[in-house]
Amino acid sequence: MKALIRYKFAHCFRVALRSAVLAILLPLLFSTFAHTEFIPPTDLSHAEIMRLGERMYRQGILPSGKVMETFIRGDVAVDSSAFSCSSCHLRAGLGSFEGGVVTPPTNGNKLYKPYRRPPSFGDVADRAGRFIYAKTVVERPPYTRETLATAMRFGTDPTGQVFNDVMPRYPLTDRDMSILISYLEALSSEPSPGASSKQFKFATIITDDVSQEDRQALLLPLQTFIAQKNQQMGMFNDFIKFGYSPTIDMQFAFRSASLDIWELKGPPESWPAQLSAYYNANPVFAVLGGISNSDWRPIHEFCEAQRLPCLFPITDFPVVSESDWYTYYFNKGYTQEGEAVARYLNRQETISTETPVLQIVQDSQVGKALAAGFRKVWKECERQEVTTLTLSSQQLLDQTAMDKLLTKHKPEVLILWTDAELLPNLPALIAKLPAKGMVFVSSGYLGKKTAAIAESVRERVYITYPYRLTPYVGSKVGGFDAKVPILPSSKDFGNRRITSRSIAMLQQTTLQGLNLIYDNLYRDHLLDIMSMQMDVTVLDYERFSFGPGQRYVSKGCYIIQLGPGLDPPLLPLSDWVMH
Amino acid sequence: MRIPFPRISLFFVILLFVCILPVRPTHAADIKYKRSIEKYNIPDVVLINQDGKKVRLQSLLNSDIPVIVDFIYGTCTTICPVLSAGYVNLQRKLDADNQKVRLISITIDPENDSPKVMKEYLKRYRAKPGWDFLTGSRADIDTVMRAFNAYIPDKMSHYPLNMIRMPKNGNWVRLFGLMSTKEFLNEYQMATAK
Repeated sequence: MKALIRYKFAHCFRVALRSAVLAILLPLLFSTFAHTEFIPPTDLSHAEIMRLGERMYRQGILPSGKVMETFIRGDVAVDSSAFSCSSCHLRAGLGSFEGGVVTPPTNGNKLYKPYRRPPSFGDVADRAGRFIYAKTVVERPPYTRETLATAMRFGTDPTGQVFNDVMPRYPLTDRDMSILISYLEALSSEPSPGASSKQFKFATIITDDVSQEDRQALLLPLQTFIAQKNQQMGMFNDFIKFGYSPTIDMQFAFRSASLDIWELKGPPESWPAQLSAYYNANPVFAVLGGISNSDWRPIHEFCEAQRLPCLFPITDFPVVSESDWYTYYFNKGYTQEGEAVARYLNRQETISTETPVLQIVQDSQVGKALAAGFRKVWKECERQEVTTLTLSSQQLLDQTAMDKLLTKHKPEVLILWTDAELLPNLPALIAKLPAKGMVFVSSGYLGKKTAAIAESVRERVYITYPYRLTPYVGSKVGGFDAKVPILPSSKDFGNRRITSRSIAMLQQTTLQGLNLIYDNLYRDHLLDIMSMQMDVTVLDYERFSFGPGQRYVSKGCYIIQLGPGLDPPLLPLSDWVMH
Repeated sequence: MRIPFPRISLFFVILLFVCILPVRPTHAADIKYKRSIEKYNIPDVVLINQDGKKVRLQSLLNSDIPVIVDFIYGTCTTICPVLSAGYVNLQRKLDADNQKVRLISITIDPENDSPKVMKEYLKRYRAKPGWDFLTGSRADIDTVMRAFNAYIPDKMSHYPLNMIRMPKNGNWVRLFGLMSTKEFLNEYQMATAK
């Protein structure tokens, strides 16, 4: 009997052992069969893999050209063309923080290292007791290509933790997955030129059509900013000399800074070569401000090509683009004033499709920029093109010819994109219009003389004004606080606000980006951080607003009229932003 | 005498043990949204839709058709795409019958969200008729957000919110959080039940 029991026990043990061995080996066997290393396709060049990967990441388009299909929250199907990886992880792949959701980094450098995310609002209920929804993975070990593929397909990290519901699940083929993973591995893998753990190198750009006075107005705040950064660095070094130990993160808040001045001379066609020479001699991390009275386009295009951030140059001729990335502008310059007139007229009940509108454009760069802005928005409003006449400054001052034009076209709305030379003739021109005829002019183009519009016709003249009209009561940033509200007045016409705008750019916008860049010294990351900023109130504009891809931070332009007197009050007729 | 031995069972028990051993408990996936019934006084404001047309909000919302409202903006990351994907899927589930539901998205970025931006946004999501995206002056948008107890001083600190108006009594179902298509459809059906 004992022998039988011994036999049965031994049999059981053998069976159990066999089962255990099988149980351990089978999953390994399956995993071997299912195993793939997600090695990039050998039939594609590296450049092609990067191109296809970038398209998947930024636009949600598969290498086949089809749209990447994804699922959110289990069963919510969505096309990645509407909602791509870069929508949340942003262009540099370092992630974002928006709406209480922390989106972690997704570049190879970070993915293949352990991760611990910064604290999130989602960790605790907010003061209003709102429901917590923004939970994200707090900590995870490094990914491998395989676990990364699992993460994108099934939404789990290497330890099986499930991602926040806003992360889509991507049912990609092995080949497509390998392309995307290769792109992520290359994304933000090398620090951008011009930055190190100890220093930021900057440049500013000044063209030779800028007056000495304007040049100084720009350089004063820029050089003060650089001096402040270096002074802080000195204090930080003293702090260490005296034996204090900074926390690990504290070192990232202190870097010295330098500022090169890139002077551009001669015709704009020669600027790209000059810029290349400056850049190659000493590559910088970003261009801080800059100033030109000419078209900014050659500089804009150089910065796009070099992937070099250019932060808030003083220009009235920015490049207006919905997709360009590297230059931040205060606004669209003259184009924005032209757009404002189109929006204002479009909302007037008295303006019908039959209303004769005549646009007279001085044959100049300014006139053309104003007219282009008007035309673009007028077309978007599905309005018929207006009659547009481009005249030289001599033709504009020929009173007889102008009278004939007005008699011929009988405009009820006359848009005059001209300089202030025409102002003395304005009452005579208005006399030729119907009783309720309106005249639109640009305060940017008229400059200081805007206030000289004859009092007798002020009720008929509508003026674009792209600056603040409400009292400015200061901000908490940068020691630029006003103790009493600053009120705009007609004396502000023609003021280019070079220093005050540059201070706002540095202290209220750029500094935040530089402070939050941490050890991720990538130019795209700087732009990503800046785009995620909260709105700010500044001296010259009612509001700066940001958002991924938004590059013109002041979106408004008033239509105003002048009140009576030599220093007339500025009377708004429109909202700051019109639609 | 033969002693039966459950070899297969033992194999699966051990297999199960081997499989679950390295897996740590999961969390975060089962967070649900918060639901409440509210009454809102819709302000009498005129907003502008994606076609540039003026629309009186009261007449748009006080409707015999069920209405759903959310707050989004054109260049939003994370939350808005999820909310908008929810709208798209609801339209698909309801076979794009725009008499069954009226979907309203109200921008919280009126500075940037012009009719053109809103129209492109809807196009990107392949929205069908019956989903309108509204903008307006900041003052009016603020008034609307306050009326829905959803005032967001800055768009970067917004949160996911859907509100379904029940045609039978004009009350609103307030849904805070992100929902699956099934949950969203279920809420719609409950809100529109006779």
